[in-house]
Amino acid sequence: MPPPEEPIHSRPSPGDEHRDYRATFRTMVGGMVLVSLLPLLVIGGADFLLFSRLNHSVVAEQHANFLRYHRQSIATFLNSITAEVSSVANQYTLEELASGNLERVFEVIQQPAGMLTDVGLIDQDGNHVRYVGPYDLAGKNYRDAEWFPLVVERGVYVSDMFLGKREVPHFVIAVKRVEGDRFWILRVTVNTDYFSKLVDGVRMGSTGESFIVNSQGLYQTKSRFGGRILEASGFPLPPVEGADIEVRELEVDGKRYLSTATWLKQPRWLLVVRQETSDAYSPLRRASLVGVVLFLAGAAGATGLAVVLTRRQVRQLAQADREKESMTRRLLVAGKTAAVGELSAGVAHEINNPLAIIETLQTWIHDLASTAPISEDDRAEILQSTSKIAAQVARCKTITQGLLHFSRRVESKPERLDLQQMLEELVTVARSRARVEDIRIATDLAPVPPVIASANDLQQVFVNLVNNAIDALDGRPGGTVTLRSRLVGGQVHIQVEDDGCGISPENLSRIFLPFFTTKPVGRGTGLGLAICYGLVQKLGGNIHVESEVGRGTSFTVQIPAAAPDSAVARAS
Amino acid sequence: MNPISVLVVDDEAEFIDTLGKLLRRRGFEVAVAADGAQAVGRVSAQPFDVALLDVKMPGMDGFQTLAEIKRVSPDTQVVLLTGHLSEADEQDGLESGAFAYLLKPHPVSDLVSVIESAARRRAAG
Repeated sequence: MPPPEEPIHSRPSPGDEHRDYRATFRTMVGGMVLVSLLPLLVIGGADFLLFSRLNHSVVAEQHANFLRYHRQSIATFLNSITAEVSSVANQYTLEELASGNLERVFEVIQQPAGMLTDVGLIDQDGNHVRYVGPYDLAGKNYRDAEWFPLVVERGVYVSDMFLGKREVPHFVIAVKRVEGDRFWILRVTVNTDYFSKLVDGVRMGSTGESFIVNSQGLYQTKSRFGGRILEASGFPLPPVEGADIEVRELEVDGKRYLSTATWLKQPRWLLVVRQETSDAYSPLRRASLVGVVLFLAGAAGATGLAVVLTRRQVRQLAQADREKESMTRRLLVAGKTAAVGELSAGVAHEINNPLAIIETLQTWIHDLASTAPISEDDRAEILQSTSKIAAQVARCKTITQGLLHFSRRVESKPERLDLQQMLEELVTVARSRARVEDIRIATDLAPVPPVIASANDLQQVFVNLVNNAIDALDGRPGGTVTLRSRLVGGQVHIQVEDDGCGISPENLSRIFLPFFTTKPVGRGTGLGLAICYGLVQKLGGNIHVESEVGRGTSFTVQIPAAAPDSAVARAS
Repeated sequence: MNPISVLVVDDEAEFIDTLGKLLRRRGFEVAVAADGAQAVGRVSAQPFDVALLDVKMPGMDGFQTLAEIKRVSPDTQVVLLTGHLSEADEQDGLESGAFAYLLKPHPVSDLVSVIESAARRRAAG
């Protein structure tokens, strides 16, 4: 199976200086977006952190305030009932209440209606002397009830929730009244639903709830999300003597809660307010969302702007490149014209001299032939003159033929070039110019392999170098320009060396710049070496220069030798 | 009246030889020189009326020779005769005191009239 053929256009031609505009575009857009978004990210991030910290503390403070207020209202509620019950107990005697006043008293204390479930009058032996309420509790004995000795001991007592004889969760507020040598107890039951509503009636957000647990962690009011009264809450109890209000974030059943808790004094209940953190911090989330949206909008805007601006810039860059390329092309043409001009002036001189001789010989023949009769001496001289004319014609012919050979390649394409032949032709033409200026053109041409190049381009390079070398010898008759060819490691080196004035180090760095010239105004265009440089680069080669002031200069053109089997691409 | 004395300076031997013969035949007194140094030597020995000078010559070029001739013999009229057409050279030559700047090949008859005008200038002082 033959190897797949590589398409010609995928191979970058030497000197193809088109930059990758897409890569440039990507780099520039990336840079611009980075530069515009990085500060935004840093400032936005710092802002978010500060804001979030501030927000957390504000929300916690809000909860604490709410809890404080709530604790106050619950305490007020319990205290007012206790006060009412105490006041009634002090106003009435056991007999007065037992003989029918208890119903009235219940109505009075019952403000607002439904706050209390029932009221009972108990003598010092624990007998339920009188009862007003929905349960059948009259006549029951409470001496063994848990609360009974505590009321006797303390005088005023608020119980925890318990089931009691009615077997319904409730709690009681009881007051002991001492009357002479005996005592009795007035006891009210707070309506459980009413109390639960009081506790959980005010809520925060959509997931907020308030509930009470006793010192054993049992629910004293319903928890909004499932906890029933007297069930174990599992709520971690803070120490009673700890902070007035404890703020914590707790995780329960996979949900995070912001929870605040505070102990009530009498009874020892823990009032808890809690809210899911996602709910509690929702303003933060909204603000963050707004921030993210703004950032994304900013990023999109910045990216869009970067793309638009960069596209314009890259377009201008491409335009500038195109203009530069066209300028280079025009420079090349101008340089070629200049080189041809310089060359033709030398050639014209070379032809004008023999023409002048021919002219004088022709006049001489005319002179001799005009006299009659023509002497033998004159005849001989006429014949001699004609052969002299022939010699001068031959001299002209040599020059014009060399020129013809030389200029035949004005429009040539890259081809396999035998440099040997080209250099020899070049030497012939160069000698016509050099002879006038008393300059020797020496050659030291070793056989070198062919190169792939446009003959026209290479010829221009060497003509320029030789012209320069001859110019460098200006005013130094007897100078020598030496052309050398060598094969050095796969590269053909063509050296044009002169023993002329040399180039100063400060000029040496600038000689390949366009329009840089040390020749007098009107003599040099400053294009020659710039064009040589461009042409040799185009061939994938290089020009190397060495010079010493007063000793001479040597230019070495290095061109890759053509591979033995390399064919020239015919596609243009 | 003495014949006009002319010095022909050129590195082309064939040229000075033939032009010398042509000018002698036309009644001029002619001497030749193959380079600038020789020419200056001849002018020092004899103040020629007119010198025909090539510009591009090995050794001293035409301009240097012109300056030397003018120094040695200010009255000698110099006609530059060159194969190299250059307006800059022409201007330089005329400013340096050349009588004319002529391009080779130049018809001999014209050349003769230029030499005669130059000689008249010399005579006029």
